[in-house]
Amino acid sequence: MDIFIVWVEIFRHWLTVATGIPILAEIIVKAALTLGVIIFVLLNLIVLVWLERKLSAFFQMRRGPNRLGPAGFFQFPVDIVKMLGKEDIVPANADRPVFLIASICAFLTAIMAWAVIPLGRGLILEDLSIGIFYFIAIGSTGTIAFIMAGFSSNNKYALLGGMRAAAQMISYEIPMVFSLLGVIMITGSLTLSKIVEGQKSIWFIIPQILAFLCYFISSIAETNRGPFDMTEGEQELVGGYFLEYSGIRYALFMVAEYTHLVAVSAIAALVFLGGWNAPFGLTFIPGFIWMMLKIYFMIFLFMWVRWTFPRIRIDHLMHFGWKVLIPVSLINIVLTGIGIFVFRAITG
Amino acid sequence: MYGSGLLKGLSITIKHFFEKKITQQYPEERPALPKRFRGSFELIPSKCIVCSLCSNACPNNIISIQSKKDENNKKKLTGYQMMMGSCLYCGFCVEVCPTGALYITQKYENAVFFRQNLNVSLFKDEPEQMLQAVRSEAE
Repeated sequence: MDIFIVWVEIFRHWLTVATGIPILAEIIVKAALTLGVIIFVLLNLIVLVWLERKLSAFFQMRRGPNRLGPAGFFQFPVDIVKMLGKEDIVPANADRPVFLIASICAFLTAIMAWAVIPLGRGLILEDLSIGIFYFIAIGSTGTIAFIMAGFSSNNKYALLGGMRAAAQMISYEIPMVFSLLGVIMITGSLTLSKIVEGQKSIWFIIPQILAFLCYFISSIAETNRGPFDMTEGEQELVGGYFLEYSGIRYALFMVAEYTHLVAVSAIAALVFLGGWNAPFGLTFIPGFIWMMLKIYFMIFLFMWVRWTFPRIRIDHLMHFGWKVLIPVSLINIVLTGIGIFVFRAITG
Repeated sequence: MYGSGLLKGLSITIKHFFEKKITQQYPEERPALPKRFRGSFELIPSKCIVCSLCSNACPNNIISIQSKKDENNKKKLTGYQMMMGSCLYCGFCVEVCPTGALYITQKYENAVFFRQNLNVSLFKDEPEQMLQAVRSEAE
């Protein structure tokens, strides 16, 4: 993947020479790279929609789509055409501007998290010094989009879904942050690339297994997927906050959900599974491939959990979040602190 | 222990993940039907003696038979219609048939586009029957 970085440098250099204005060249390069990241995310999405169908089928001993293309992979253009072909309905009593913006907001907040997620050594849009903090902050702004959608629909089910999304995401944000804190204490850095560099000898999943579990559970709640998909809850809330949406706007919510899923999986792979570091010295496979393998391993775990467990009740969800996950993640921080202290005392 | 139920659930689904899939690929794969499955009716016209026991046995009265007398004063079948829309597949008609001319097959794809297509004729008029015989010989 180093060749990719070299290409970008050549392109940047050529642009600087061609335009004569370094800042303009920088802007063009950054815009092109951003477009590249968005295309990468959308390509992932195509695979994910197919994967979700196929995996859910396999977990239920079905075959899943298998008519269009190899193993039903070409189901996605059909889906896209179907989504684009639907009428874009705005309910008569809806808060029109908010209703229209909400789906775009959901997509934007999901895609913005990708600014700090590296996919390999140097393969990052902006290696912020507060990378992981930025990710958490952007991740929680997604809640606003859900409330906007639920509130502006002027529908009690949508509103309930939006309120649930807010309650759930706020209460699960805390254990998520606390579980990442253990790793940050060990590496002493919020930069994602430095966290990955810190895992060259040992992946943080081994000393931080408790944190990994906390992160895994709370990120399921963060992405509003089963068994924590209280916000959608088909049996109680019909469709949750995007109940009134149709066509392309509905598709944008789905895109946001899957983008968030990939982002959360990428963070798990970076922070706990060693990022682009190869396990067992298998360094002949490029780091980018390892990163993708780890991301898809995490996505497989998420889908496995989703298609195994039934949805839990909203009060149980809150109970679990506040009375179990937060204390456990706090205990993990204390244990990590003691561990670091002991380690320093031994090594001097 | 807390969480043992969760692990059990996960192990069950991952077992299903690698198991053989049970979906039947319908148009390509056909279901193995039970031996006594009643699909649709067929008639062997040469065996039929036009006793009309079948139409009398039918609880819904859906069988209509047309016949004519030939030179030996024997009844000869000229038409045999069943209104399959009202058939309840009790199989009484097959049970009473003295010669075994009427029998049940396992052909279950009986859906039609129009209601009148449900009135099936198990025996066409003679000229047509002749034509079919000629055609099949030609083939």
